Amino acid sequence: MNCFEFERVLPDCLEGGHTAELQAHLNSCSACASLLADLNFISSQARLLQDSEDPSPVVWNLLELQLRREGLIRDGEIRESAPARSSLVDFFRRRRAVWLVPVAAALAIAAGIKLYWPTGIGDTNPVARVAAPTPAPPLPTEDQQLINTVAVRFPSQQAKYRKNLEDANSYIRDAEQSIRNDPNDVYSQQLLINAYEQKQMLYDLAVNRIGEQ
Amino acid sequence: MTDAKKLQGDKLTEAEAIERAKQGDGEAFQFLYNLHKRRVYSLCLRMTGNTASAEDLTQEAFLQLFRKIGTFRGESAFSTWLHRMSVNVVLMQLRKKSLPAVPIDETMEGEDEGTVRKEPGAPDGRLAGAIDRLQLKRAVDELPPGYRTIFVLHDVEGYEHNEIAGMVGCSIGNSKSQLHKARIKLRELLRMNRAEKAATGRTGKR
Repeated sequence: MNCFEFERVLPDCLEGGHTAELQAHLNSCSACASLLADLNFISSQARLLQDSEDPSPVVWNLLELQLRREGLIRDGEIRESAPARSSLVDFFRRRRAVWLVPVAAALAIAAGIKLYWPTGIGDTNPVARVAAPTPAPPLPTEDQQLINTVAVRFPSQQAKYRKNLEDANSYIRDAEQSIRNDPNDVYSQQLLINAYEQKQMLYDLAVNRIGEQ
Repeated sequence: MTDAKKLQGDKLTEAEAIERAKQGDGEAFQFLYNLHKRRVYSLCLRMTGNTASAEDLTQEAFLQLFRKIGTFRGESAFSTWLHRMSVNVVLMQLRKKSLPAVPIDETMEGEDEGTVRKEPGAPDGRLAGAIDRLQLKRAVDELPPGYRTIFVLHDVEGYEHNEIAGMVGCSIGNSKSQLHKARIKLRELLRMNRAEKAATGRTGKR
């Protein structure tokens, strides 16, 4: 066997095919022996590249944000309304927010940061204490007014609007709680903006329907 | 590949985390992510050679997994399922970019890849003991995309040629051929790197 013939059978040799003729050539040719040794070394060392590096923390942050947006993360609590929330998000995404949304969201975020930013050790400002989650409160006055209007104009839609408003408010409360827990939580801030957008879209829908009558 | 396992100090097993994730538990999702992120990210990084792309693909792989987690019934190991999904995500991305997952032609035009050029009088120094993991990693990153795909799937990740052929869409013979060429190319890159370092060292000493 010469070097040319050796190279032809080299792939099979690496897979385990090793003949006496091939071994005899390796014993007599240091270049081919070195080639075979190098290729075996490369193959064996390659496994060390498996599981070798971690992604940056941003990957999880973005992933978690998307999972929450899609309703796949439900805060560890089994909520039968989760599918409704997902459909609510999809439904509102078909509409665009108006001026009220960014103003409300910005004020909420700023309030959250101002009230709950720790000013230092020994800070006894009672406002800085994080409030424990409370049961769902009654609808705010303006939301109730919307429901009352819908009840008069579109009675069959009243229950649906009420449910959707309650879900949107719950979404807002969750996001606000997350910001209270961590004012630097960027994606919770984005969630809050999204939540206000969704609520604004619900108002838009009701107003548009009333206008079409 | 591992089945349900308990991490030291953790009360949660993988199987428990999967069931809780199906219920929307955010902590369970994060547990599963932390358990498998290194393997998935390393795979994506080795196959793309690019950090930003690898992070995007890692996120996409886990997103697809978590969207479908409700359908996981435990017939195979969770890690196997995730790994296959990750490979498919990367291969789809390579196809979108019109980068060949495998070189189209069995034989390359022009330069005769896959054969070893013998340099008369060239030193016979072997690579073993002369290169480290970082150098190998860099050399893999320099491989053409098609060679890199086959090398990573076979030598790094441990897939067999018949599995690679099925995933990539080539013949078993093609997979073997490209693997051999990838290894030959890596050897060239590593020897060049070693020669450059030796030359630098000699220059520096003057």
